[in-house]
Amino acid sequence: MKQVLEGSHAVSEAVRLAKAQVISAYPITPQTHIVEAISAYCANGTMNSRFLCVESEHSAMAAVIGAASCGARTFTATSSHGLAYMHELLHWASAARLPIVMAEVNRALGPGWNIWLDQTDSLSQRDTGWIQLYCEDGQEVLDTTLLAFRLAESANLPVMVVLDAFFLSHTFEPVDVPRPEKVDRFLPPLSPRFQLDTANPYAINQMAAPDVYMEMRYNIQFAMDRVLGQYDLLEEEFAAIFDRKHGMAEAVRCEDADIVLVAAGTTASTCRQAIADLRSKGEKVGLLKLKMFRPFPTDLIRQNLARAQKVAVIDRNCSFGAGGIFAQEIKSALCNVDSPPGVFSYIAGLGGRDVTQDTLEEIYLQTKTSHTPARESIWIGLNRELVESWRN
Amino acid sequence: MKKMRAFAEQLPLYLPRSNSSTVGNKTGTWRYYRPFYDEKTAPCSAACPVGEDIPRIEMLAAQGLLRKAWETIMEENPFPSVCGRVCFHPCEASCNRGQLDEPIAIHCLERFLGDKAIRDEKPHELAPPSVTGLRVAIVGAGPAGLAAGYFLSRLGYECSIYEAQKEPGGILRWGIPVYRLPEDVLRKEIQRIQKQGIALHCDTPVNGKLLAEIAKSHDALFIGCGYGRSIAIKIPGEAYIHDGHRLLQSVRAGKSARFRGKAAVIGGGNTALDVARTLSRLGAIPVILYRRRKQDMPAFAPEVEMALKEGVELKELVAPIRIEAACDPSSVTESGYQVTLQKMKISAGEVRGRARAIPDGTKTEILTVEHVFRAVGAEPEAFWNMESGERSRQLSLSHCKILFRERPVVYGGDLTNEIKSVTDAIASGKQAAMALDIYFKKGRDHIESALQDHLVESGPALSMSAYLGRGRANRTSHLVSFDEINTDYFLSAPRIVPATLSAHKRSRSFMEIEATLSKNESIKEARRCFNCGICTECDYCRIFCPEVAVTVDKAKRFINLDYCKGCGICVTECPRNAMVMGEEKL
Amino acid sequence: MAQLNIPMQDYLNPGHLGCPGCGATIAMKLALRALGEKTVVVIPACCWGILAGPYPQSSLNVPILHTAFATAGAAASGIRAALDLQGDTETTVLSWAGDGGTFDIGFQSLSGAVERNEDCIFVCYDNEAYMNTGVQRSSATPFGTRTTTTPGQDWKKTRKKNIVETLAAHRIPYAATASIAFPEDLIRKFQKARKMKGCSRFIHVLAACPPGWKIPSDVSVKVCRLAVQTNVFPLYEVQDGTHYCLNNEGHRPVIDYLKIQGRFKHLTRADTERIQAQVDKDWQLLIKKSAK
Repeated sequence: MKQVLEGSHAVSEAVRLAKAQVISAYPITPQTHIVEAISAYCANGTMNSRFLCVESEHSAMAAVIGAASCGARTFTATSSHGLAYMHELLHWASAARLPIVMAEVNRALGPGWNIWLDQTDSLSQRDTGWIQLYCEDGQEVLDTTLLAFRLAESANLPVMVVLDAFFLSHTFEPVDVPRPEKVDRFLPPLSPRFQLDTANPYAINQMAAPDVYMEMRYNIQFAMDRVLGQYDLLEEEFAAIFDRKHGMAEAVRCEDADIVLVAAGTTASTCRQAIADLRSKGEKVGLLKLKMFRPFPTDLIRQNLARAQKVAVIDRNCSFGAGGIFAQEIKSALCNVDSPPGVFSYIAGLGGRDVTQDTLEEIYLQTKTSHTPARESIWIGLNRELVESWRN
Repeated sequence: MKKMRAFAEQLPLYLPRSNSSTVGNKTGTWRYYRPFYDEKTAPCSAACPVGEDIPRIEMLAAQGLLRKAWETIMEENPFPSVCGRVCFHPCEASCNRGQLDEPIAIHCLERFLGDKAIRDEKPHELAPPSVTGLRVAIVGAGPAGLAAGYFLSRLGYECSIYEAQKEPGGILRWGIPVYRLPEDVLRKEIQRIQKQGIALHCDTPVNGKLLAEIAKSHDALFIGCGYGRSIAIKIPGEAYIHDGHRLLQSVRAGKSARFRGKAAVIGGGNTALDVARTLSRLGAIPVILYRRRKQDMPAFAPEVEMALKEGVELKELVAPIRIEAACDPSSVTESGYQVTLQKMKISAGEVRGRARAIPDGTKTEILTVEHVFRAVGAEPEAFWNMESGERSRQLSLSHCKILFRERPVVYGGDLTNEIKSVTDAIASGKQAAMALDIYFKKGRDHIESALQDHLVESGPALSMSAYLGRGRANRTSHLVSFDEINTDYFLSAPRIVPATLSAHKRSRSFMEIEATLSKNESIKEARRCFNCGICTECDYCRIFCPEVAVTVDKAKRFINLDYCKGCGICVTECPRNAMVMGEEKL
Repeated sequence: MAQLNIPMQDYLNPGHLGCPGCGATIAMKLALRALGEKTVVVIPACCWGILAGPYPQSSLNVPILHTAFATAGAAASGIRAALDLQGDTETTVLSWAGDGGTFDIGFQSLSGAVERNEDCIFVCYDNEAYMNTGVQRSSATPFGTRTTTTPGQDWKKTRKKNIVETLAAHRIPYAATASIAFPEDLIRKFQKARKMKGCSRFIHVLAACPPGWKIPSDVSVKVCRLAVQTNVFPLYEVQDGTHYCLNNEGHRPVIDYLKIQGRFKHLTRADTERIQAQVDKDWQLLIKKSAK
């Protein structure tokens, strides 16, 4: 049934439908609406679940790790500093092979304190072994959250569902909220591969010496590889019930594009309008929307970008000393391709600064008129006066 | 559908999850030092002349296994009710608990266990001995002879005891007053010995003729006839002095006269005390005349105190030099005597470990009394003097002497013992029994070395239990000292004090002074015992072992050497030093 | 033997990697005897993380969840929630952390769990330093101790944090101290804690460490007894954070406890007197709190 929901509630509705059993979270703007809604559902009995109001994000992840180790379906949500605080345990959750699902609202890291959209928080956790799925709109958020539980429980890997601060989390859109029976067909109750059980006692997560550790790590990579291979099958199952599909990435008019813009999240949504307008002016431009970031769908990226002459990657994040993170990954995916396109890396929209169609057109023009990128990362939309004020 | 199933296909998981136990690691390879269960000797057992297994007795009593505790006594001593009353308990003087608070009232517990067994009237079930077919004749049914009979019959010898008096018991029956040792208690314990199949011939004094006869019809002889003759005092007026031993004997024979007035008792030993206290009960006012000081008296100090409490007067540092009849020398009945006492003083130097008293100049004192008794010692009847004979035909042991004639003749009891006590007499009977058994089974040359194997600590007490190859044989002779006890495990608690008759009541009758403990009191007192050196199954070794390497099988504990790391906690924690750390034997 | 009220079934296996004489091992051994087989143990980073056995072994016959250092309280809470939802309110969730995972890095999650009154038993087995990483000081290290991070003249000059008092301030329904040298008392407390379902319980167990305390391996139990007998580590229980009950009164001077441990051997007479004064003061305060 179609409802007008803010992005946060697309998450909480999915969590309700998924019948997550143990939820533990610590509030941080702009994740709060997610956990408040779930907390209300637990309190009024809509969800027969436990909500643990822990005293920090680190404990929130620890609590769901504990619960998942006992075979419960678990969920948490966070953002920015909360995610950073959980960092140690993000590594832990994936190596413990726990099917935890987390909603992560992309928000800037401080100082200075900044509660608005920035992708650095989730991307700087790319090495933690979590599956990362980026969402563009409210429907995608709900669908991805449901998918995340199935995916996590099949691969025994935790899944992060990423949505933009405010632009998505607090934006109201029509969202189809499916009926519980339909969801149950797609998402049966969790049947854990292992769990703590006094009738069959064993220890988990203990010391692993050099002679076995690497093989355990390899098993994680193995699972990640399988996810890449199996994700389409999962989406087909989902589509068969809900008649929707999002793909690991979405190529919009890339077949004959000279220049392809690459973006994730709501930025991709703005890109759609931008390339439609540019195309109408005769520009041969396309969009590759990134959804799955981990595991990184290298083959799909190559397929969709190989024919382009130039690629303009829009990063609303920065790995200082290196550059935009999406750009680095795209470059690395393209490095062994025959005559790869030139990759232009743009840093834009940090800390909630808007990325408008004008921004995107500027990016397109700069890409079109430059033979090669002027520098490794080009910062777009800087306030020149402000920069000059401290530069000289 | 195939595609759906394909996605649901389970991924192989490889993560840190245990599938086996650490029991696969034999951590025993870590150690270089290991614990051993090592039962040792308690000082009380070593001090006991008959080497009773006191820590074990108290352990069993503390657990309420009273019958088993009694049987443990009976292994080494057939007279618990007797000894619990009359033994001077050197065990208690050496008791390690005494260094924490107060020694265990071992003699009270022994008495309780003995009395309970008498009350229960259950026979003593002994393992039937392998009959040797040999016969031993025993002269004297005192504690030495009776003990010899008891132990010899347990070893399979047919015994006959020849006793001059009309009832057996020796000093137990005819010497010690009934307020210390009631008659029925003694009778029951003697009867139990008899029931083992010993032939007892009372009213049968052994003269030369009878001695020759029984020598011929037996394979060995035990002479335990005791000191039957009291030593006289050679001073003017000695005829006026009555024999204290004979007084005691006549009282025990039921012929007790009454006495009035003051009665002097010359002597300082236990007999002198018994005489004085008996006189007190017969109506007299006794005064003991002793040539040294109170602390020099050979009598058992607690008995001295009891005597004084009963109104017996003690005159120290006096020696009678003359006795004269007072007033009317022609009177037939006693009418009083004047005793001239030489005052004595202690001089430097000792004689045989005792302070030396010498006359204090010419100071004298006159004491007027109605009666004079002597109790200055006894000696054997001349008939029983041991032959000096050839050295090579004799073997002197700590508590007996063996003459090897046609058949071995063993002298024991007071005849041979350095310490003339009831318990030493029993020890003598035991030693004689073991010596004879070794003689008959292995030969004369093996006696001393074989006896060495069954000493309690370094002796002289011997353990019959060890001789018969029972558990006690495994105890080491290391004597457990107080420092080796882990006192952390013991809370201070007072020693039980048995009920006693008031001093007023005591001196009016021959009723037994001290009561037997109740069962609850006994168990409570037994629980105070450290049980030095033996395992009481307290289980602290097993409770604390970090390696779960202590196992129990049929009440015995074992160290699992596959896992023991040699940390030593078990040994350090053992409350009673029943373990030891030692090197690995590779 | 008949006098002891100690259950005999062990859930600890031999073959574990504990140092000879390890007090922490004895603590776990006794605790599990009291709690029984329906127990899930959460172990954050600490000596027990190693004692529990490396892959593929386990030294316990109960399920164990190893977790990150700071997380015992939170992980235990999550396990409890999951078990309750599965309809299992009988299984005890036992959080088993060292002093680091309780007093320091783990304090936040413990405090949070206790404030939420989570239905778990939280145990700190306290060897008074970060022993697993090589004897570095913790906030549980007593005044006067030399550790590798309070070496030489920099021996620890601040007092031991009082974790039981801290949790009493949370009004935890049940908190108690225990010592491995008093097994019956320890087991009684664990059995009592097990029966108090539906709320938080905390037990602080003193567990000696031979290499860290610089004592021979055979006196681990004895030194934990001396700690109680000298009132350095009193045995007591607190109900609802306000009702104090003393279980033992010590009468020995602290020097008896200090002199047998190498970690204190640098202390002068003045230092010892200072410690005695501190112990006496704390003891008097405890008496006051326990007075009816």
